[in-house]
Amino acid sequence: MRSLLKIEWLKIKHYGAFKILSIFFIVGVVLTNYIVFSVNKNIIGNINTAGLVSSFNPYSFSNTWQTTSYATGFLLILPALLIIILITNEFSFRTSRQNIIDGWSRQEFIEVKMAMALIISVLCTLLVLITASVFALFSGTDFSLNGFDHVGYFFLKSFSYNMVAVLVSVLIRRTGFAIGLYFIYLGAENIISQLLDVWSMKLRSDHGIDLGSMGDYLPMNASDGLLTFPDNPLKSMAKSALPTDYYWVVIGFVIIYLFFFIWFSRRRFMKSDL
Amino acid sequence: MAILSVENLSKNYGAIKALKGISFSVPAGSVFGILGPNGSGKTTLLGIVMSVLKASGGGYKLFDEEPNDAHRKKIGTLLETPNFYHYLSAVQNLNITAAIKGRGEDDIDRVLEVVNLTQRKNSPFSSYSLGMKQRLAIGAALLGNPDVLVFDEPTNGLDPVGIAEIRSLIKKLSQQGKTIIMASHLLDEVEKVCTHVAILKQGDLKASGNVNEIFVHEDIVELAAENIDQLDTVLNEMQGYTKKTKDDGTIQLYYPQGQVKLDAINSFCFNKGLTLNHLHMKKKSLESKFFELTN
Repeated sequence: MRSLLKIEWLKIKHYGAFKILSIFFIVGVVLTNYIVFSVNKNIIGNINTAGLVSSFNPYSFSNTWQTTSYATGFLLILPALLIIILITNEFSFRTSRQNIIDGWSRQEFIEVKMAMALIISVLCTLLVLITASVFALFSGTDFSLNGFDHVGYFFLKSFSYNMVAVLVSVLIRRTGFAIGLYFIYLGAENIISQLLDVWSMKLRSDHGIDLGSMGDYLPMNASDGLLTFPDNPLKSMAKSALPTDYYWVVIGFVIIYLFFFIWFSRRRFMKSDL
Repeated sequence: MAILSVENLSKNYGAIKALKGISFSVPAGSVFGILGPNGSGKTTLLGIVMSVLKASGGGYKLFDEEPNDAHRKKIGTLLETPNFYHYLSAVQNLNITAAIKGRGEDDIDRVLEVVNLTQRKNSPFSSYSLGMKQRLAIGAALLGNPDVLVFDEPTNGLDPVGIAEIRSLIKKLSQQGKTIIMASHLLDEVEKVCTHVAILKQGDLKASGNVNEIFVHEDIVELAAENIDQLDTVLNEMQGYTKKTKDDGTIQLYYPQGQVKLDAINSFCFNKGLTLNHLHMKKKSLESKFFELTN
C-alpha cells in the first residue's frame, strides 16, 4: 500500500486544484471558527452582560472539541469535492484504464483511492485537533479532554462525506455530473431528514413514542447528527421538545453506511468495464 | 511459446456482439497485426487482454499462463488513446508509468529521445499536439525496454514523417527479437511491417496466419480492342491467367504474381487477327484486397 500511495502522491503533488482546495479548506477552518468565536464573544457576550443568559464560552476547554468539530463540519464539502475531482479525473483522462494496463489490479486502484479518502479524513481531523487546541488556549481555561469524543464524531463525518464522494465518482465518472449529484443528494437528504425530524417530534409529543431524531438515521445525516453545537443556556430552553439523542444508534448507522459505501464502490469498480 | 493465445473469446455490449468467439495465437518474435475496419472489435479484443474490459465468454493466456497483473507490467501497451495526466509534464507522467510498472525509471530520457520529445519533456501534456501525445504514449510503452509491445493504431494522428518513423521503429524493435501485437485498420501498414495477421470483421475472425499466406499477390492485366466481344472470345483460348472479368469496355485478366508477359498477350491477340487499343498491367490495389478479405 505504501508504494501505491507514493504513486498517488506523484499524481497530485503538482496538481493546482489540489493545492487551491487544500488552502481554501485550511483558511476556511480557521475563519469559520474565528467567526463563531467572535460572534459568541461580541453578540452573545453582550446579551450576557444584560443578564438574560448565564455565561457561556464555546471555545473553553471541554467545549472547544465539540464547537470546533461542529463548525468545521460545514466545510467538509471541500475535501469531498477534491476527492470527486481526483477520481473523476482518472476517468476523463482515461488513466484509470492506463494504470490497469500498466499493471495495477483493479483492487489496487480502488483501494488506494479509498486509502486517500481515509488519509484526507485523518488530516482534516488533525486540523480540527490543532484548531480546537489553539482557540481554547485563548480562553484561559485548563486543558481538558472532556468532550473529546466529538473529534471522533468529526472523523466519522469526514470519512462518510469522503466515501460518498468516492462512491459517486465511481458511479458517475464525469466530474460535473458527479459534483452535481453529490450536492443534489446532500440537499435532498437534508429535506427528507428535516421532515423525519418533525415527524419524530410529533410522535413524541402526540403519542409519547421517542424513537430519537429519525432524520439522523439517513446515510449522510447520520454523521451530521452526531455533531451538534455544545449545550448552552439558549439551546436548553428548546431542548425539552426534541426527541432523545440515541448516540449509539446513530453511530451504528454511520458505521453500517460506511461499510456499504466501501463495499458498493469496490464492487462497482471491480465489475465494470473501464 | 505463444505470447498470447485467445480461446473462443466473446464480448457483448447489450444486444451488440462486439466479438463472436475468436481464437488465435501470437507466436513469440512475430509482428502480429490485427486488421479490420472501424468497429470490427480490435480494441475490444486488446482491451480484454489488457484487463480493462470484461469478456462475456471464452478466455486468453499470456506467456502460456493464466493472465495476471505481473504479465501486464512486462508488456508495453498503447491502447486506443494516449492516456496521461493532462496537468503533468511528459517526465512526470512517465515517472508514474515507471512506478506502476516497477521498472524503467532510469529509462525515461532514452524513450523521450526515441520518440523525439526531449525538447518538450517538461511541458504539460495538455499543451501537446495530437501527434506528440501519440508519440508520448509510444514512449511510455517502450519504457523499461519490454520484450512484448501492444500498439493499437500506433500511427493515429501522426504526420507522414511521424508515420514513417514509427514504422521503422517497429521494424527495428522486431529485429531485436521483440514480439509486437499491432491493431490497425490500415492494410498497407500491416502489410509493410507485420509477419502475421488476424483479420476481424464485425467481431468475426475472417482469417489468421502468416502474412504471405493470407495476402496472396495477384497481378491484373487490363486490355481492350475495337470489338470487345471478339476479344473476349479470343481470350477464352488463351492460357495462363486464373480469372477473367469484363466491365466498361475493358477486360481484366488475373495472374499469379510475376507471371505476366505483356508481349506474349499482345502477339497472341495479333496472331488471332485482333489489334489491341489498350494493354495495361496494374498491381491489385490494397483497398480492393481489403474489401475482398472483409466482405
